[in-house]
Parts: sequence; C-alpha cells; structure tokens
Amino acid sequence: MRRSFLLAAVAASLATSGCVQTRQFADLQFTPPQGDYKLLVLRPDVQVSSVTTGGLPEARADWTEQARANVIAALRAQQADRGGKTLVLERRDSLPGLSAEQVAEMERLNAAVSQSIALHKYSGYTLPTKRRRGLEYTLGQDAIEFGRRTGYDYALFMHAEDSFASGGRVALQVLGIAGCFVGFCAPNIGGAGQFAYASLVDLRTGEVVWFNVLQTGSQIAGIKMGDIRSPDGAAQMVERLLGRMKPGRDVRRAQRARS
Amino acid sequence: MTTALSRRQLIAAGAALAAASATGVADARIAPSSLQPLIGPGYRPTDRDELGMWQQMQRVEEEVAGSNLLMKDAGLNRYLQGLIGKVGGPAARDMRIYLARIPEFNAVMFPTGFTVIFSGLLLRMRDEAQLAGVIAHESAHFLLKHQIRQYRDLRRKSDVLSFASMLGGIAGGAAGVYTGDLAQLAQLGTILTLLRYNRQLEAESDALGVRLIAEAGYAPLSMSETWEQLIGEIELSAKVRRKRPDRGYSIFSTHPAPRTRMVDLRASAAELTVPGRAYDRGRERYLAALSGIRPTLLDDQVKLNDAGATQYVIQSLAQDGWNGLLRFHEGESLRLRNSQKYHDRAALSYASAVAFPDAPADAWRWHGIYLMKAGRPAEGRTALQRYLSLAPNAPDAPFVRQMLVS
Repeated sequence: MRRSFLLAAVAASLATSGCVQTRQFADLQFTPPQGDYKLLVLRPDVQVSSVTTGGLPEARADWTEQARANVIAALRAQQADRGGKTLVLERRDSLPGLSAEQVAEMERLNAAVSQSIALHKYSGYTLPTKRRRGLEYTLGQDAIEFGRRTGYDYALFMHAEDSFASGGRVALQVLGIAGCFVGFCAPNIGGAGQFAYASLVDLRTGEVVWFNVLQTGSQIAGIKMGDIRSPDGAAQMVERLLGRMKPGRDVRRAQRARS
Repeated sequence: MTTALSRRQLIAAGAALAAASATGVADARIAPSSLQPLIGPGYRPTDRDELGMWQQMQRVEEEVAGSNLLMKDAGLNRYLQGLIGKVGGPAARDMRIYLARIPEFNAVMFPTGFTVIFSGLLLRMRDEAQLAGVIAHESAHFLLKHQIRQYRDLRRKSDVLSFASMLGGIAGGAAGVYTGDLAQLAQLGTILTLLRYNRQLEAESDALGVRLIAEAGYAPLSMSETWEQLIGEIELSAKVRRKRPDRGYSIFSTHPAPRTRMVDLRASAAELTVPGRAYDRGRERYLAALSGIRPTLLDDQVKLNDAGATQYVIQSLAQDGWNGLLRFHEGESLRLRNSQKYHDRAALSYASAVAFPDAPADAWRWHGIYLMKAGRPAEGRTALQRYLSLAPNAPDAPFVRQMLVS
C-alpha cells in the first residue's frame, strides 16, 4: 500500500516537473511593432552548456556556435513575418555611423536597466511607486540619440542559454528514480533547461516598452523541453520568447471598449 | 544493521576530516625547480572543456578591454606590456595586460592569458622587480593552466560526491539508516579539499613566478618583500581601527597565508640566487613609468579612509626617500582623521611638504590655511599667494583671492 502511494507520488512529480514558463511586462501604451518598422538586434548573447554529473554547467563552444547561428536565423525569419526590417548586429563595430565604444555604452546602459527590471519585476522586490503601472523604465535621452543616429525604430536586446544533462547526470537521475523502490527517492535532480530574456526599447522615446523572461525545463535530468542547437528548436525558443507579444494594459482596454 | 550513526561517531569522523584538510594550511613549500610551464608559445586549447572556457572568455576580454575603469596612459601601458614580455616565460608574447583604476592590492589572470592589474598594486610596489614578481605570479597561473585544472578538480570532486551521496543514500535507504548527516559532512569535506587545491595552485604560481623573475635578472628576494609589506599594511590598518588583523590562516582560505607565502618565497629566493650575479631592481625605470599617475594613485588611496594602510604605504615608499608628494598625502590622510591631535600632525606634514621642490599646489593651500588657523596670518598669506601662483585657475582660486583681500 505504502509503495503504491509512493509510485503515484513519483509519477505525479514526473508529470508536473516539466514546464515552459514566460512572464512578460509591457509599457501601458505599448503596441507590438507591426508593418513597416526597423529593428536593430544588439549582439544576441547565446550560451549552450552541458551539465556535468555533479551539476556544473560546462560551456560547449561547438554547441554555442551552432545555437547562435540558429537563433539569429530564427530571429530574422520571425521578424520578417511581422513585416519589419531587421539588422542583427553580431559585432560591436559593424554599425555604420557609430563606434564600437558607443554601441558598448548602449549595451551597458541596457544591462543596468535590465538588472533593475529583473530585481523589481521578477525577483519579488516590487517597488510601491511602480506597482500596477506595467513596465515603466527608460534608457533616456541616450537611446533617442542612438536611434536618431542609426535610423532604427526599435532595439532588441536578447540573451538565451540552454543546457543538456551529460550521460553521467542522466545515470545519476536513473539511480535517483530507482532509489524510490528502496525508500531513498530523488526523482528530480534537475539541472538542465533553457533560460532566455528579451528587452525591447523604443528608440523614438527611449523607453523600455516590453520585457519577457522565458524558462523551459524539467526537473528530471535527461528530459528536454526544447533544443536551440537545432534550427527548429531555435525557432521554437524565439517563438516562445517573442512570438506572443501582448499590448500594454491601456491599449488592451481601449481594444476591449471598441469591440 | 539498523543502528543509526551515533552523534559521537559523526563528530569523530568530522574531526578526522578537518584534521586531514587542515594540513593544507601548512603545505610544504613547492621548489621552483620542480615546475615546468605546461604550454608553449601561441598556445590554443584542443580539449572540449577548455574550448568552452576560452569561448566564454572572448566576451569577458572584450568587456574588460573596453571598460572605463582602465587607465589610458599609453606609455605606462606599453611599459606593463613590456614587463610581462620579460617575465611571461614561453607565453610572454601571447599575454595581454590591462591596468584598472581600482585602489586595491590585487591582480587577476584570466584563463585565456589576459591579466588585469589593479592600480593599488602599482602604488605599493617600490621598484620594477617587485612589480615583475606579481606579474610573474599571474603569468605562472596561465603557464601552468591553473584555471582549467581547477575547474577539472571541481568537476571531478563534484561528480564523485554526487554519485557517492546517491549510492550512500540508496544503501542507507535499503538498510534503514539515515545518511543525510554523512552526506553533509562529505560535502563540507569536498569544499575543504577544493580550497586546499586552490591554495596549492597559488603556491605553485609563487614558485614558478620567483623563478621567472630570477631568470629575467630581477632580484628574487623582491617577491618575498612584497608580502612583508602587505603583512605590515594589514597589521597597521587593523591596529588603527582597533581590530584584530586577518592573518589568513584558515582552512577556508583560497590563498596561502601571507606569512607562509613570504617565508616560502624567501626560501625559494635563496635557492635561486646565484652568488656574485648582479640583480636588477629597476627602480629608476619604475618611477619614470609611474610619474604621470602617482598623484592619482596616492589620492585614491587616501580617499579609502583606511588611515593605517595609507600610513604604512606612504612610509614604506618613503624608505626610498621623502618627497613633497608623499608628505602632502600623509598630511591629507591625517587631516581627514579630523581630530585636534591629527590636525596638528597634518600641519607638520604640509609644512614639510612645501619644503620640497615637487610639492603640489594643494600642499601650499593647506599649509597656508593651517598657518592662518595657528594665528600666523602673515605667513599664511604668503603660502596662499604661492598656491594662487601655482594654481591660478583652481576652482577655489577666486575664494582664496577674496580671503587675501579682506
């Protein structure tokens, strides 16, 4: 009786431990870019690792190269579908009219603001002054200047990582599940999965208009919910991250009122 | 076979483990002759884990190279690059060196062969031989592939630990014994051995480093002196703050204790010193290379508000002779302690600073102000006039002029 209860519990945890989560925030007046817009994607940061038996992420250069190429291709295809003209900047010095240093400064500014967003919107340290106001962050005058000099309407910053359990990690997981039969149960040692975030800046106003975080993974080492090393997997991640851009609250209310 | 592990057994096991790792604190010195560089010129990784590590470092180096913390003095940067070229062993031509404006005694080597030197290190070194010692220590990390070896040690030990805990747990589960305490103990033991390995690698770098500078013709004893200076600084800093100094003897340390390093380096230097050979200290070259940034370095140190450390650093530099710049910053540090006793001493420092031809304009300013406060207005005015003639465009010049008129 006790054993069958245990097995049911394990089965339940196996069933619920894999998931894909996204959580997005938008400026109250945000409308997803449509039609004829120009988007600049700044150096997408991609990292693929293998998870060692002990749970350490070990960077894999070959997988990372593959995934970066796939993610960039998927981004281009996805934005073309929306009607935008996209330039994916792969190096800091490949933007005409701006020095590598100026691009670096924009990246650092965005990194600082993104950290703030992560802290106050995702980590639970909510600010009373920003409650129920959607996404209220800006990169300021510098971003407007950046847009004016480059001629782009939007800048997209993106980071994506993926990891895969090594053979040893999977073996450890098998042991952990086998242990359930003798009363030492470790059915979800986890350790592999995807994590990505994107931040969209309107270069005409300098505001961060949309921000999304994607987490994909299962608690069972060896079971994957995606794989950005393959073109299809990369397209899937880009779709999960950027495909379902919701308009801001005020815009949604206005749409509802009209309908 | 159902008796749980008793608390007494557990404590005994823990004590044995701690004793085993504690010996790491007093590791035997590594002989410089026992080490050989593991890489040659133009090294590129071929192993999978190292390839991944190098790729990750590309963006890190790009970020470091473009950081606004870097000091841009072109001559000084060329000088540092030349120095790593002298003591970098087989990889001398491959390594890159960056100077960051951070007022701390530190330097870091990254896995791909670029190093970041903190400006606080340059302030503390008395000559080129001492600086060469630190750069050689960092080079040795790269030559001995320390970062990837450390990572592999971590990977191996965490692999073993996780399998052992899992198998132990299952065996315990089958036998009805709770093994959670043992697993935690094993985890602590693993962490201690990782730290111990790190200390061993640092000792290796010291040993190969001192050999590299000896081969380049620098006095081998200079590395040991650096540690002697650091110990003196830590002790005085703690004393002024009325705290106990952190002497770095701990099984949780990442580096060997400074005193251990000093003693080992002295012994290694004795081994390497060839009697009758003339060793270079390069003091003149060093002072010339640093002349442009020395005031900034001293100013940054004073503003750390660590009076004991500042006092030690200035006094150790003054062993090679006092000058106006050192006396002025001694005065600054004393003045910022802001009590009557130290104001009196600060006044003396400014007074002796202005006796040197290289006294900065601000030394005249504060000398004048302290003279005014001491009720010697005529001398004070003369000093302030001297300040205005040296720094006519100082932000407070109109104010001082007004003061002299009234």
